Amino acid sequence: MIERLESPASWGQLVKGLVRRPVVSHALRVIHRISRAYVLRRSLKAILTVWIVVTATFFLVRLMPGNPVEVYIHTLISQYGFTYDEAANQAASLFAFDPNQPLVLQYLDYVRSLVRGDLGQSLVSPGTPVSSILLRYLPWTLFSAGLGLFCSFVLGLSLGMLMAYRRGSVIDHLLTALGSFFQAVPNYLVAIVLIVFLGVQLGWLPVTKMRGAVSPGLQPGLTVAFVTDVLYHAALPVLTYVLTTIGSWMLLMKSSTLSTLEEDYVTVARARGLSDGRIMRAYVGRNAVLPLFAQVAIAAGFVVGGSVVIERIFVYEGIGFLLLDAINRRDYPLMQAIFLVITVSVIGANLLADLLYSRLDPRIRRQTAEGER
Amino acid sequence: MSVQNGLPRRQRSVLGVVAAWLADLFRHDKAGFLGLVSVVFFVGLAMLGPLIVPEPGKPDVTKIYQPPSLEHPLGTDYEGRDVLTQVLRGGRSIILVAVLAALLSTAIAITFGSLAAYLGGTVDSVTGLVTDVILTVPQFPLLVVLSAFVKLDRPWLLALLIGLLSWPTLLRAVRAQVLSLKEREYVEAARALGLSTFHILFGEILPNMAPYIVMSFTIGVTAAMYAQVGLYFLGLAPLAGENWGIMLNLAWIRGAIFYKNSVLYILAPVLAIALLQLSLVTAARSLEGLFNPRLRES
Amino acid sequence: MIEVQQMLREPVLSVRDLVIQYEGEGGIVHAVRGVHFDLMPYESLALIGESGCGKTTLGLALMGLLPKSARIVAGQILYRTRDGRVYDVVRLSGRELRDFRWKECAMVFQGALNAFNPVLKIWDQVLDTARAHGLRDRTRVRDQCERLLRLVQLDPDRVLQSYPHELSGGMRQRVMIALSLLLEPRLVIYDEPTTALDILTQRAIIEVLRSLRQELGFAMVFISHDLPLAAELADRVATMYAGRIVELAPVRDLFYQPRHPYTRGLLFAVPPVSGPLTTVASIPGSPPSLATLPPGCSFAPRCELVTDRCRSEDPPLYTVGADHWSACHHWSVVSLDRRTERLGGSSHA
Repeated sequence: MIERLESPASWGQLVKGLVRRPVVSHALRVIHRISRAYVLRRSLKAILTVWIVVTATFFLVRLMPGNPVEVYIHTLISQYGFTYDEAANQAASLFAFDPNQPLVLQYLDYVRSLVRGDLGQSLVSPGTPVSSILLRYLPWTLFSAGLGLFCSFVLGLSLGMLMAYRRGSVIDHLLTALGSFFQAVPNYLVAIVLIVFLGVQLGWLPVTKMRGAVSPGLQPGLTVAFVTDVLYHAALPVLTYVLTTIGSWMLLMKSSTLSTLEEDYVTVARARGLSDGRIMRAYVGRNAVLPLFAQVAIAAGFVVGGSVVIERIFVYEGIGFLLLDAINRRDYPLMQAIFLVITVSVIGANLLADLLYSRLDPRIRRQTAEGER
Repeated sequence: MSVQNGLPRRQRSVLGVVAAWLADLFRHDKAGFLGLVSVVFFVGLAMLGPLIVPEPGKPDVTKIYQPPSLEHPLGTDYEGRDVLTQVLRGGRSIILVAVLAALLSTAIAITFGSLAAYLGGTVDSVTGLVTDVILTVPQFPLLVVLSAFVKLDRPWLLALLIGLLSWPTLLRAVRAQVLSLKEREYVEAARALGLSTFHILFGEILPNMAPYIVMSFTIGVTAAMYAQVGLYFLGLAPLAGENWGIMLNLAWIRGAIFYKNSVLYILAPVLAIALLQLSLVTAARSLEGLFNPRLRES
Repeated sequence: MIEVQQMLREPVLSVRDLVIQYEGEGGIVHAVRGVHFDLMPYESLALIGESGCGKTTLGLALMGLLPKSARIVAGQILYRTRDGRVYDVVRLSGRELRDFRWKECAMVFQGALNAFNPVLKIWDQVLDTARAHGLRDRTRVRDQCERLLRLVQLDPDRVLQSYPHELSGGMRQRVMIALSLLLEPRLVIYDEPTTALDILTQRAIIEVLRSLRQELGFAMVFISHDLPLAAELADRVATMYAGRIVELAPVRDLFYQPRHPYTRGLLFAVPPVSGPLTTVASIPGSPPSLATLPPGCSFAPRCELVTDRCRSEDPPLYTVGADHWSACHHWSVVSLDRRTERLGGSSHA
């Protein structure tokens, strides 16, 4: 077998034979199609990015000067009188890998448990799986950041279009100035100012009552009381996210709309006697919004990243709040997991934007159909 | 002066070009001019601050959280220190670290961006992949996590970390620009003359991107300030010395926000940072107009 | 029967002393300066001129599509509908203007590649047009549209289900031409409909237009810089220069007996079908900026027949023959004879 493989001629034969087999040729066709299909290509890229981040985080944590596993093992030995093996076993269960194995095997173990959803156990509260802690905090961040992103996207787009249609008017100048202002000011400063003025100086909002993700003792469910309460607690973080991201959407949409308004098809649509509303929605709006999708990932990263500070300021119990907690208590497995989850959410938001984009732009969608024809 | 004009006009003195540009800016873009002037003003004030006020404020327990007065125009903090003194002295280290970080990320972006575009092939693909990954990973949480491993007690270390994470956007832009500039006639001419890749890149292509690079550098400074102040505010960088981030942190931790009298204490660093950021962004936008004259119409 | 004949004698379109200006930072641009002409039903008028002579502005004005920076200073654009009503497009606005567009007068633009919304299927854009004019019966719209698409030699089933980027430039322009006839307008304006296309596609489009006009009978204004191309479809030709019509004549008269030195120059700028290529001559100089027009005749600086009178006095539109007008003081001297050219002494090979 080996001898046969070494001669180039039989290599070719082997390859040909393989390709002729139905299963293989089918697989090849599938791979070919995947490489052409936009959506699949994007999904694969997202998975690849997640994998790279998982790998990088793993090795970073292991190779860092203050390697948390070693630190933990030494703490166990020195403080609780564990033997090295006992300590290592304990560490293995907490970190979801065994420090005595070679690095590569540890890595494989780690990835295997990740795939199963096992993120290890919290150092600070032993016996609690990290995943269950995450599940308690993550929804609030996803909810508030997602709502903030959505509101600022929709509002920013509408205002941007308004600015473009009323170019040079008072409202355009005013909104441009406001947009530039909020784009420039760091989000945590906006949050601080909101607390200082709305909460303390003017006393309009009971900021201490608004802390937490939801009022204690309230039964979760699709009741009016619960939904109002959730919105009540999320109001200030969401407001901050909206205020600090709306500026870029407005300015981007304005310039995109202005250049779309100059397109021939808009003039032609007017010549065809279409109503202004229809032109604004289907001809200007839909085309002007397309280039903005590339920015969604950046905005998502900015909002989710900002949540680390914003949730601290408003004491909103989301994952950003949890991350700071984990860092202050040096709860490494929790930290590592939160960081992964944050990154995955941003990648997920990016992927979602890509999918939406491909739904809206036939030039992307149809490329694949053309390729298969 | 823009890229479209082909070879940069080198015969004019740098000072002449800058003066002409400032005059042009004043005429066409009042906001940008104002931004530039205030950047110079704020940065100058922050740099000279420690010279104007050579002594840090002294704690005085009898003067805690005092409202503004003639002696303390912005009031006092939780230890009775003068707030104005702190604001004047607290900008220097923030700006220095931010500039250092932006310099580093700009250097990385220019070097690898232009090399990737110029060499293409594997270099380009690898750079592209790394850029994509760094771009998707949210920067601030990563810094926060790193602060758990690395003690950020030296300013240059902070600058290094921030700088190492904030180059991807500029790198992409540099790469795209170099790719398009590569095909321009004068680069062809330079290649025909047998000039080296290095010379073509740094002698011919990059000078034409100067306004864009300066703009990204400015944006880089704002991003580094954001990350830095954020870390100080959360208490993840050691609270030693005086700077606006530490002021924010202490005002927050010591509950200054809940005293009506000390509203200026907390607002002072907030305003200092916000105004500096705003003027930097405004100045950067006018640079963008310079780079892309189409944007300047309105 | 008498009514129909009556109608045929009355113009579909009468442009009356139309003056259009753009107000910009660089001052006032006189894009259209007193354009005046009539267009009869089933007639085809070619508007010829170099780029920047105001012909596209004129075309947009006919549809009420001028940009905000443009202002109609004086004049009227009168349309006569099938039922004999006359209205002035300059005064139309809002709903009335939208109803008028495409239903009475359609327009095919020069940006062939970019005339369709890239995110909607062709059929949706056809439907948009029909709905905007109150046609709710999808099958009727579909039938009409398929008929037109077949007339322009396209496969309706394929085209209607396509997105614009899936069609070639020539196909898109044909779809546009078919779409322009969807509501059976009395007048269609073609603004350089073949400019962006390759030479073979140009030919095909001209053939399509010719057969469509025979088949459906509509009046048309054909805007072009290409005199011979326009002449193929035109009954009459109007030459535009610096915002004015400088000569207007039936196509044969204009070709064999031009009465304006500019038209003559345009004719010489085209290689003859037979004869040596050396006789191709371009007009020296370039058209004046519409912001700073010279006093007197705007063509004077480039004209070989120029006299002092031309430099001071802008010529009116003289009647120089039956249905033939020219804005030249020396129209009687203009001749296709090469000698006049040498008299002027500025011919370029």
